[in-house]
Amino acid sequence: METQRKFIVPIGPQHPALKEPGHFQFTVDGEIVTDASVRLGYVHRGIEKGAESRNWTQNLYLFERICGICSHVHATALAIGVERLAGVQAPPRAQAIRILMAELERIHSHLLWLGVAAHEGGFDTLFMYSWRDREIVMDLLESLSGNRVNYSVNLIGGVKFDVEDKHRDAILRGLDTLEERTRHYLNVVTTDRTFLARTRGVGTMSREQAELFGTVGPTARASGVARDVRVDAPYEAYTQFPVNLVTDERGDLMARFVVRTKELFESYRLIREILDHLPAGELTVRVPRKIPAGETVSRVEAPRGELFYFIKSNGGEKPERIKVRTPSLCNWASVMQVAVGHKLADMPMILSGIDPCFSCNDRMVLIDRGSSAQVWSWDELRRYGIEYYKKL
Amino acid sequence: MNNLTVHPLIALLLFPGGLFLLGGGLFYEWIDRKLVARFQNRLGPRWFQPLADLVKLLAKEEITPQGVNRALFFMLPVIALASALTSALYVPIAGFVSANSFRGDLIVTLYLLSVLTLCLGLAGANTMNRFALIGATRTLTQLFSYEAPFLLALLGPAIVTKSWQIMTINYYAQQHLWMAITQPIGFVVALVGLMGKLELPPFDAPEAETEIVAGAMTEYSGRGLALFHLGKNVELLIGLTMVAAFYLGGLANPLEFLAKTLGLLVLLTVLQSLFARLRIDQTVGLWWRAGALLALLQLVVVFLLR
Repeated sequence: METQRKFIVPIGPQHPALKEPGHFQFTVDGEIVTDASVRLGYVHRGIEKGAESRNWTQNLYLFERICGICSHVHATALAIGVERLAGVQAPPRAQAIRILMAELERIHSHLLWLGVAAHEGGFDTLFMYSWRDREIVMDLLESLSGNRVNYSVNLIGGVKFDVEDKHRDAILRGLDTLEERTRHYLNVVTTDRTFLARTRGVGTMSREQAELFGTVGPTARASGVARDVRVDAPYEAYTQFPVNLVTDERGDLMARFVVRTKELFESYRLIREILDHLPAGELTVRVPRKIPAGETVSRVEAPRGELFYFIKSNGGEKPERIKVRTPSLCNWASVMQVAVGHKLADMPMILSGIDPCFSCNDRMVLIDRGSSAQVWSWDELRRYGIEYYKKL
Repeated sequence: MNNLTVHPLIALLLFPGGLFLLGGGLFYEWIDRKLVARFQNRLGPRWFQPLADLVKLLAKEEITPQGVNRALFFMLPVIALASALTSALYVPIAGFVSANSFRGDLIVTLYLLSVLTLCLGLAGANTMNRFALIGATRTLTQLFSYEAPFLLALLGPAIVTKSWQIMTINYYAQQHLWMAITQPIGFVVALVGLMGKLELPPFDAPEAETEIVAGAMTEYSGRGLALFHLGKNVELLIGLTMVAAFYLGGLANPLEFLAKTLGLLVLLTVLQSLFARLRIDQTVGLWWRAGALLALLQLVVVFLLR
């Protein structure tokens, strides 16, 4: 009887607040949310399986299409991993161009998020303005690569195009405008009273919670967790161009706005530095068509957090297995926990607070309930691990 | 008594009621949309867009969902639009003498203007849709929050005039200093109250699309949706007329009407594009903690200085 009296508000799979399909159920008591659940998997595309029937070069294009917002960073993660397996390294100039594009992509992604999050809170003016300014960086990306979404920068063993002086000037000009605008947005998200009423103290996630739920990227950093692959395990040219970590202790929605906006400044600084100290030299190295057998893990920092690739090669032209774990997947759990106790009106903003991306984390999971399945407790698993490594 | 008069039948069908009101409502909607768009650095719709939307919606199939009271579902938009149109008979639309005027018509007009909101609330509660139900709850909650301060804000000029007849207040306002200057708090409360009434941003929690799709109107399509929209447009026009007549030195002729109501509309659009959406609890809090108290304070001051 009690279950029938629950009032559940379904959001999705089709809903104006969602730009991609996902299904959320919020049990509400009046306006207060008492329970939340999520169901994903509406846009499973079978990319990981598809990778096994394509060669390494073709896969570069396939994996770039995992995400429409952070396409470059996916291809970079794959390229780095494959290069490591092949025992080659991209030339310094190519590495610098890779992270230059990655930072430009981060700018476009964060500005896009700022607009979407503002729209969820009913602040359409900020939405329109931030998206207008995002066009600057989109134009820069287009002038560099010829594309607005899938830039196709990477090759296995380097990059496709060079950054010339005319690009350099255009980027610097664009950054000046963007920096000025970003300063304005930082001012808006920290001082506008109606906006603060929707973000300050809403969706607060403590540092302990953030670590417990395994959040990554700006979502974790807004809760004071100093976690960034660019800093923890610098890859490519990040070793020469170190990143300053942006964290905030407050952990609420406002902190997520502040962290992402401040990260924009960090990206501007980094891009200027890269352009000033762009190493000279080749853009590509030769990579064999067949990648030596082996397996590797490749981690990069996507705009939404740590992006994880597991790549296994059997020595052939095609990969044996590629596993992708995208940052949104790590952040989902936090949303469902944090949502409880808030008002229904806060749900869209809390949802968009982690900058969710749906299609990139949809996977097919097969649970075999047959008798061969084994359930291990944490202790058993730990003991197995210790013994396994003792044997080595 | 410098206002013009018109024949009753014309008044009902063409001007100031009927066709003129519908056309005027659409025109004001266009100004509203266009200005907000320009403030947001967008292009905005072309001048005939509201009319095109209306025609398109009227031509569409109207779907009646299961589990609703069909008569209510059909009638509510009609009643909403009719009451909005009726209220036009008591206000000096375009600076002309109102078609029908009697003592106490201010109260009647205010109630007619609230019928639209009530119809919206009923329309939402009538359907089984969960978004519509929440929208209806929010619509009615909002009604209870802004209605009293809005009423108090419009009573201020009435008390100064010592009449509850809109035309009398209009004449009085024409001959005296603008009441927006003598009663500034009342003016602000009335203007913001109008935004709450019309569910304009930042008071658009009842139809917040990112939360509850279209709120109470979620299940409406085609004709019903068109009529509700039209009702809101008409109410925008009438609301602006009333605030202008009371607080901006009255409306003596069409030119003054255009200048003053459009001036108010510009103010409304600026306010619309400035703020993030308020949550429903924030709306209620704002109205009862600030709006109602300020309006009461204004009323007390008016009483004391009279």
